[in-house]
Amino acid sequence: MSGGENEWGRLMAAAQEGQAAPYRRLLDELRQWLTRFYARRLPPAFVDDAVQDTLIAIHEKRHTYDPERPFKPWLVAVARYKWIDRLRAMGRSATEELPEEIAVDDHESAVTSSIVLTELLGELKPAQAEAIRLVKIEGYSVEEASARTGQSGSLIKVNIHRGLARLAAMVQKQADVE
Amino acid sequence: MSNESLIDTLVGELRPVKRQKPLRHAIWLLGLAVVELAAFLALGTMRPDIGSALGTAAFWWKLGSLGILAIAGTLVALQSFDPSRSPRQGLRRWTALAVIALLVGWIIDIGSAGVQALVARLSWQMGLECLVTMTALSIPPLVALGILMRSGASTDGSGSALAVGAGSATWGAFVFAFHCPSDDPFYIVVWYSLSCAIVVGLARLVLPRVARW
Repeated sequence: MSGGENEWGRLMAAAQEGQAAPYRRLLDELRQWLTRFYARRLPPAFVDDAVQDTLIAIHEKRHTYDPERPFKPWLVAVARYKWIDRLRAMGRSATEELPEEIAVDDHESAVTSSIVLTELLGELKPAQAEAIRLVKIEGYSVEEASARTGQSGSLIKVNIHRGLARLAAMVQKQADVE
Repeated sequence: MSNESLIDTLVGELRPVKRQKPLRHAIWLLGLAVVELAAFLALGTMRPDIGSALGTAAFWWKLGSLGILAIAGTLVALQSFDPSRSPRQGLRRWTALAVIALLVGWIIDIGSAGVQALVARLSWQMGLECLVTMTALSIPPLVALGILMRSGASTDGSGSALAVGAGSATWGAFVFAFHCPSDDPFYIVVWYSLSCAIVVGLARLVLPRVARW
């Protein structure tokens, strides 16, 4: 954070009054913060979309920020909400494969970067965690994951769907997972 | 679209906004409650025995409990439209208040004279009319709070919807209490709870979907 938490609150207060320059500075700084936030919580392929969704949400809901209160809890609450949204969306599209550019070559960095997500997977049943790790984080196809784990293709899809729904519910209950 | 282009677009669309003020919303809702109550009574619905009812503990228990529950539920809902505030603790307190209200009703019921058959005390025909009217009276606050929830930024859609439902249901029941001729705690607990359950269920079913952001 370049200007400190209170500085962000001041910039947002100016943005609420319609001042473009402080708003641009705020969004630029938030973009960097959000990229780091989601890089620890989502597979790399989903980070950019989550950052953009959150920037749009911040724009649409900026009237709900009270400048007399700290900015960071407001920001974290919005970012967490969009994180949960993204986990649910990943669960709904359980069969969707990751784009080519982040597929199998980049397994190690993908796993390392989404460290909070990896930690959370430890709370799931092993079969669910394995299916999510292989398909959603490491970029294997459902068929490849099926071959590696011995689970049928449809079981892989069910485990991804149920596992991500459970993850979203767990995150919703926690204050925050740093 | 790249992040830079998105930021350009958002900055280009920037307009001044009016900050969300829960106190302003609370005053606006209080006005709505007064208008709804006045309109309902203007239809000639005030119970004819209101004079004698004012002297009974059961009437004040009914009115007081519903008023407190309506205010508490509505405040929990309003607070939960701020993204950084969860409605869960407020909902637990609201539930505790509802349990206390039921216990007080039970104590009043024990003190009442005569033992009537429970089925007769339910007065089915009147009870069903009560159920329909009470639920209808909950719709205006449900819509008003739903609009506020949609314009707010609740990060716990289910919790906010439950709070909206609890506030609206007890609000509708409070207004209805000026008409309802029964002060029998057993009747009130059964029929009023049923109406509350319908409104809370409706809010829980619909609001998280329409207030997504």
